[in-house]
Amino acid sequence: MRALLASLRDGRGFDISLISITMTFLLLFCGVPLIYNAIMSFQEVDIFNLNTFIRPWVGFDNYRALFADATTLPIFYNTLVFVFFSIAGQFLVGFALALFFSLKFSGSTYLRGLFLVSWVMPGLVVGAIWNWILSGDFGILNHVLKYIGVISDNIFWRSDIHFSLWAVIIANIWLGTAFNMILLSVGLAAIPNDIYEAAQLDGANAIQRFRTITLPMMRATIGAVVSLGLIFTLQQFDLFAAITSGGPANSSNVAQYRAWEMSFKEYDFARGATISVLMIGVVMIASIIYVRSTKQEIRG
Amino acid sequence: MSEGIQIEINNLNKHFGHLHVLKNINLSIPKGEFVALVGPSGCGKSTLLRSIAGLEKISSGDMSIAGEIVNHLPPRKRDIAMVFQSYALYPHMNVQDNLTYSLRIKGMKKKSANIEAAKVAKTIGLSELLQRYPRELSGGQRQRVAMGRAIIREPKAFLFDEPLSNLDASLRVHMRKEIRSLHDKLGATSVYVTHDQIEAMTMADQVVVLNEGEIVQQGSPLELYDSPVNKFVAGFIGSPAMNFIKGIVSSDGRSVELQFKVKQKISLKSVFTPGMTVDVGIRPEHLDINASQTNLKVAVNSMEATGSSTYYVADTEPALSFIEQGRSSIVDRENVNLYVAPEHVYLFDAKSGLAL
Ligand SMILES: Nc1ncnc2c1ncn2[C@@H]1O[C@H](COP(=O)(O)OP(=O)(O)OP(=O)(O)O)[C@@H](O)[C@H]1O
Ligand SMILES: [Mg+2]
Repeated sequence: MRALLASLRDGRGFDISLISITMTFLLLFCGVPLIYNAIMSFQEVDIFNLNTFIRPWVGFDNYRALFADATTLPIFYNTLVFVFFSIAGQFLVGFALALFFSLKFSGSTYLRGLFLVSWVMPGLVVGAIWNWILSGDFGILNHVLKYIGVISDNIFWRSDIHFSLWAVIIANIWLGTAFNMILLSVGLAAIPNDIYEAAQLDGANAIQRFRTITLPMMRATIGAVVSLGLIFTLQQFDLFAAITSGGPANSSNVAQYRAWEMSFKEYDFARGATISVLMIGVVMIASIIYVRSTKQEIRG
Repeated sequence: MSEGIQIEINNLNKHFGHLHVLKNINLSIPKGEFVALVGPSGCGKSTLLRSIAGLEKISSGDMSIAGEIVNHLPPRKRDIAMVFQSYALYPHMNVQDNLTYSLRIKGMKKKSANIEAAKVAKTIGLSELLQRYPRELSGGQRQRVAMGRAIIREPKAFLFDEPLSNLDASLRVHMRKEIRSLHDKLGATSVYVTHDQIEAMTMADQVVVLNEGEIVQQGSPLELYDSPVNKFVAGFIGSPAMNFIKGIVSSDGRSVELQFKVKQKISLKSVFTPGMTVDVGIRPEHLDINASQTNLKVAVNSMEATGSSTYYVADTEPALSFIEQGRSSIVDRENVNLYVAPEHVYLFDAKSGLAL
């Protein structure tokens, strides 16, 4: 008994008890639902057997049915477009802002703080605001585009099948830029200034310094930002719910929204679970890249 | 400007906001010379060095390098190499890439740059380490890489900002010699910042003493040692530091009365204003314990033996320190007879601190 107490106080017992609390929590609220979801994707699920665990096993039938559905591939394609352009946009704008604020002009820290506003706003609120901005008749975006002469007729961002996905992408870029900027700012600040000075004396101009010092020194941060961005964009649900609801005619529908529609609007839980399982696979790959990139920190 | 001057600075001033950091600096450094900038912490040494490199904009004045005014040239166009106190190696590149960075920036092919790197690595003993990353090197090895990165370019001048301060004592002594011999071998022009006056004395042709942003004195190491212009330089150059005692010049002007509790008189090398209040400076190594004559009697308070010499501190107010070569020969610690030759007694104006 004494030995047990002693090990709790200053031995490995303390470590183990700390870890076990976290592990229990994770297993209970993340692990079990994950496995339950995976099992469900191999079962026949309907309203009547929802409350039991033993259901008819159907193998890969749900997966086959999913890919036989004509809407599935376009939705996966939309997901790809959404994820790629959201991440690219968030990263480029975020990096540009991070570089801009690293110039440390007066007031730069306050200005940078303001950008965090987008981060603390709930996705539904952001979606509502973007609904106004993107509105076809009186939206400010159309007004500005017309004013600078990019377009001559109003674009109906949310109801035109050619633009509906882009409406969500634009809103999502705005939403995720601040997060990218903050992480990239931290990465930039971690590069010692004397390295830049040494590079200047070695004859490197600003572009060469960016290419040979900034980018390689930021590799770990960039890897983290992009893989976290992948996870966040695959999670993005609120904006779809608020702006387009996946429509019109699934033109802006993506996998995560589709999974929710399947499970909670059409009550086809098995199909919803099937889409989720596929997405888990993608997120796991992203997580592995993320963990790898944070491991390979190359700071001397 | 005159022939053979590599770095010329005229009336340079530097302000950081309201802070006047460098005041009217005039300095010319001949080609091939090794100049040490010394001074206490915060006196502006690094700022002056960084101004030469172009990393700090000067507020007024002129600076030319190899005959060309560089006031408005960015660092990368000045063709100057700098060794930082932190070394500032590129952490994401191995030693070879660190060395060749400047060459590759200039557009040299990787292959020929690596041949240059191999040559430089050989001169400074890095050949075994070319594939290592900075984080895999010891402090001394990093220091060498920083040196190698500087010399591979054959720049117009080398700037060093306390490059040895992160090394242990014995390595420091070794690197001192190595840097100096590299300088001679390359025929380079070097400016070396240090707050360690021994480093300055042993390495430099010319020592520039800075205090509070001003050049106080400039000269060869022995000039500074033998004839300091004021109390500050006298106290700064030489180790252990010079003793300063309040004194009053006697009525005939040929001797000075040291204002210890028991007043003592020592003679001077020439005639000074009688009755004048002065600060008397005597170097510890000039207080001779084994001379045939004596003009100073003290009691020893503490002593430290290093084997090669013995350091004493006397029981006076202010405490007088002195040195004896070899082992201690003192028999009676309460009555020690010292002698200081008149030519080794320095007098400074009590108010201005200027040498008299
Ligand atoms: N970027 C800066 N902004 C404002 N003040 C500065 C800046 N850099 C230096 N100073 C001030 O200028 C003065 C000289 O600094 P400098 O670094 O040149 O001193 P130093 O002689 O190199 O001292 P040390 O031996 O401690 O390195 C100091 O008072 C310092 O506080
Ligand atoms: Mg300094």
